[in-house]
Amino acid sequence: MRNNSKGERIAIYIGLIFWMLVNLFPVYWMFTFSLKDNPEIFGKNVIGLPQHWLWSNYTRAMHTGNMGRYFLNSAIVATATIIITLIVALMATFALTRLIWKRRKTLNKFFMLGLTIPIHASIVPVYVTLSRLHLLNTYWALIIPYSAFSLAMAILVCTGFMNEIPRELDESACIDGCSTWGIFLRVIVPLMKPAVATVGIYTFLQCWNELMFANIFISKSALRTLPVGVQALSGQYTTDWGPIGAALVLATFPTLFLYIFLSKKIQDSFVAGAVKG
Amino acid sequence: MKKILALALALCMIFALAACGQQAAPAPAEKPAEKPAEAAPAEAAPAEAAPEQTVLKLWCIATESDANRPGYEKAIAEFEAAHPDIKIEWEAFENNSYKTKIKAAMMGGDTEDLPDIFFTWAGAFLGDFAEVGSAYCLDEAYKPFAGDLPEVMLQNSTYGGKHFGVPLTYNIVTLFANMDLLAEVGYTEIPQTYEDLTACCDALVAKGIIPFGCAGSETWCVTEYLEPIIEKTIGYEALGSIFAGQGSWNDPAIATAVDNFQGMVKKGYFDPNGMAIGNDQVKANFIDGQYAFYQNGSWNCGEIDAKETADGVNFEAALFPVMDSAKATYGQVIGGPSDTLAVCAYSKNADLAASVAFELGRSICHYCYLAGSGLPAWTPDYDTSEVKQLVSDVAAIVAKADGMVLFGDTAMSADPANTYLDYVAQVYGCELDGAGFVEGLTKDLG
Amino acid sequence: MKKLYSNKFHILIFLLPALILFCGVLIAPIGASAYFSLFDWKGIGPKTFIGLSNYKELFTSNSIGFLKALRNSLLLAALSVGLQLPLALALALALGKKIKGERAFLSVYFMPVLISTVVIGQLWLKIYNPDYGILNVFLRAVGLENWTRIWLGTKKTALGAVLVPTLWQYVGYHMLLLYAGVKSVPIELREAAMLDGATDGQVNRYIVLPYIKPIVRISVIFAVTGSLKSFDLIYVLTNGGPLHSTEVPSTLMISMLFLRNRYGMGSTIAVLLILLCFGFALLINVMFKESEE
Repeated sequence: MRNNSKGERIAIYIGLIFWMLVNLFPVYWMFTFSLKDNPEIFGKNVIGLPQHWLWSNYTRAMHTGNMGRYFLNSAIVATATIIITLIVALMATFALTRLIWKRRKTLNKFFMLGLTIPIHASIVPVYVTLSRLHLLNTYWALIIPYSAFSLAMAILVCTGFMNEIPRELDESACIDGCSTWGIFLRVIVPLMKPAVATVGIYTFLQCWNELMFANIFISKSALRTLPVGVQALSGQYTTDWGPIGAALVLATFPTLFLYIFLSKKIQDSFVAGAVKG
Repeated sequence: MKKILALALALCMIFALAACGQQAAPAPAEKPAEKPAEAAPAEAAPAEAAPEQTVLKLWCIATESDANRPGYEKAIAEFEAAHPDIKIEWEAFENNSYKTKIKAAMMGGDTEDLPDIFFTWAGAFLGDFAEVGSAYCLDEAYKPFAGDLPEVMLQNSTYGGKHFGVPLTYNIVTLFANMDLLAEVGYTEIPQTYEDLTACCDALVAKGIIPFGCAGSETWCVTEYLEPIIEKTIGYEALGSIFAGQGSWNDPAIATAVDNFQGMVKKGYFDPNGMAIGNDQVKANFIDGQYAFYQNGSWNCGEIDAKETADGVNFEAALFPVMDSAKATYGQVIGGPSDTLAVCAYSKNADLAASVAFELGRSICHYCYLAGSGLPAWTPDYDTSEVKQLVSDVAAIVAKADGMVLFGDTAMSADPANTYLDYVAQVYGCELDGAGFVEGLTKDLG
Repeated sequence: MKKLYSNKFHILIFLLPALILFCGVLIAPIGASAYFSLFDWKGIGPKTFIGLSNYKELFTSNSIGFLKALRNSLLLAALSVGLQLPLALALALALGKKIKGERAFLSVYFMPVLISTVVIGQLWLKIYNPDYGILNVFLRAVGLENWTRIWLGTKKTALGAVLVPTLWQYVGYHMLLLYAGVKSVPIELREAAMLDGATDGQVNRYIVLPYIKPIVRISVIFAVTGSLKSFDLIYVLTNGGPLHSTEVPSTLMISMLFLRNRYGMGSTIAVLLILLCFGFALLINVMFKESEE
């Protein structure tokens, strides 16, 4: 604000820049050591840029580590989870905010319980169920539980957005002869576009990181996701840091690039979720 | 427009990455028939194979970096070439996550999600599966192989008189020494008595050389030190009966042994950094010449030998010296056949899988023995002149062994084994002395 | 319209997918866990009904150390509310002042949230490595040799070393939530206060904070339940060790389930964990309501 003293402003900047460095440094370090060999990492050149850019670390991470495959798997699982979560949440939110019935407030609260349930608490029963349904070792083994655990947040966000759509629109569509489905598909869903991005981000954060389910529910190495792949690779190359660094970078940078390009959109959508929720 | 461009760019990158990954896909772990799965959920494995081929699934822990990996690769390739009608679809998992996986899979109990043949540790790990009928009895399948596989090798995977496992290799706890470092303090051979060993360690410490490396974060590595010390104090019969749940931990001699071990820790014989790093790194440090001794399983022979051959460093293998000569002798060892293949009782082709397990087991044993990652449980019927020097040394030790006790955490079933490991960790962390160790274990395990 | 929207059949159809997913994956397993928590069971084979013995053992047995694990996760929750949130709030307030490069700061702060937890864990494992980790290397370089530690390997430092990245990763998450709130404060409110001669601090204290209270409430709930749920990072960094000093209920649960084959006891921890999360979420809601009145 205008009446801030100069000293105060400088102090704020120093604080902000300090925290920025705290966030950037680990990523920078990860990137540089992914291009070094052990002697450089372990002493000769700990924090500088690599003396010889050792791209072969990346070849090793890609080939023995199979990071490309894992990245694709994670992307498939995340995309499918986001789509399913969205569809299911939009339908449920429509029923919870628009349709008229007695217990809808109670049911809404019931769904909100999902916000606090720890995903690991259900690991064995979910495993047994998936096993009975013959879904283990398929992408569905992850997509279904991830969708279920993202549902509560998605409903919370969608409720915020849907409540803002004026009810008059429903009325006029109804007068035009639309059925319930017609109103939902032609009026509500098109207006929920902003919610799509927001739900997408929250769901992505939920399922991109998950390790335990991914580890136990998938045994085919061709279907492993990134966290499992990174963890396995680190277990194999404990003493050879370069390829591990390369795997960490491969697991991180595509998301970060996407983020850099779309950061405003991502932040706005994330923020929208907070305000609406 | 700019946004769309950015998005397109990012997507291209993802697919480029994925494409590279697919090129790398025909790694040995993924057999050609296992084509990169599409998003389609129901891709039943058998449908992919040729109709007359039987597919057998095998799970093991021979990951890319595992010393046993080449052994599995060769054995499976050889087997498939000899049996075109059988296809082995195998997956390797990292050791720790494998324990979780195989247990979860058994809880699920569904044929489709379970392997036909699985790697297991003999003793209680397999025993738990055998007890509830998840493991398939191998008595019938064993008969044709009895000539090559002495029955004594099956003792750790025999429950209620029935055989459930195909042993691959057996291993003992071995004291590896870097003779070049020992030479620096004037030792030309590994000390044979406890007093001598202590003197040697003191000399090493004085010279700034760390005597022992041990991964404290993986408690089984600590037991590789502690168990021989206890055995060499109370004798192998006593320790064996305790691990079997018959004897009691309540023995003041155990407290003495534990105190002796802790004394070594307190005197700085062990690398303090070992608390935070894994066994792989500790082993690498030892091979690299950072520690004078490394006491661990004989499966390390191959890796240590490789360094010896490559860089001319001189390594030798021996046993931990006797602590109480009234009760124990030098030739008492910790170890036995532990690495095992078992057959899942829910397998649709259990009988076939059983004989395949034996054939594979024999062949894996063969290659792992030659590679130096264990001693053979099967009687060798091949040229053994190329066996690594260290392996022969260990084999010579075993040939003269007076008695053998299986690794404690393998012998005990999961719950008590972990309680035991907890106490061992506390001893290594100097949280608990010998008396406390004995008292606690007596209370919890009897 | 009303008739159209009251059609029971349609209501059911719209709710069905969500209900199936939610009950099948979240609610039914809780029921199953509650049931199995009453048994002594290895997960395979026969099970023995033992009533509430598992619960009793959990709270009385020293060797399981559940109370210690609980204490650790409550400490994490407390630090999360007491340290992480204030930091996030300070950053959000600072950025809310039309700072130059606001976007750049925002983007960088949010970045760790987008990095996979396993990657963060592996990265910090390297940072803490006693021999070659950047932390000890740095301390040695600036002559603080005595300050070097085996960060993840000694009981004294391990918990702290695990807490730092856990808290660090999500500062950006809460910062962005709170920033959204700060930005939504109507400019007229601020200006009116300024005209009345309020200082920056006073504006924040009396205008901004009360205005963003709902968001603070959500942040607090996420921070607390998130701390109670925390698993992945600790699993990667220490898996509860050394000597259980970094154990939290989730790591304890996994080791009961898969390491010790005590499926009944694992289920017991699962049930308690869920109750705890519910309890805290409720408690926080009540506290915020009371302070509003």
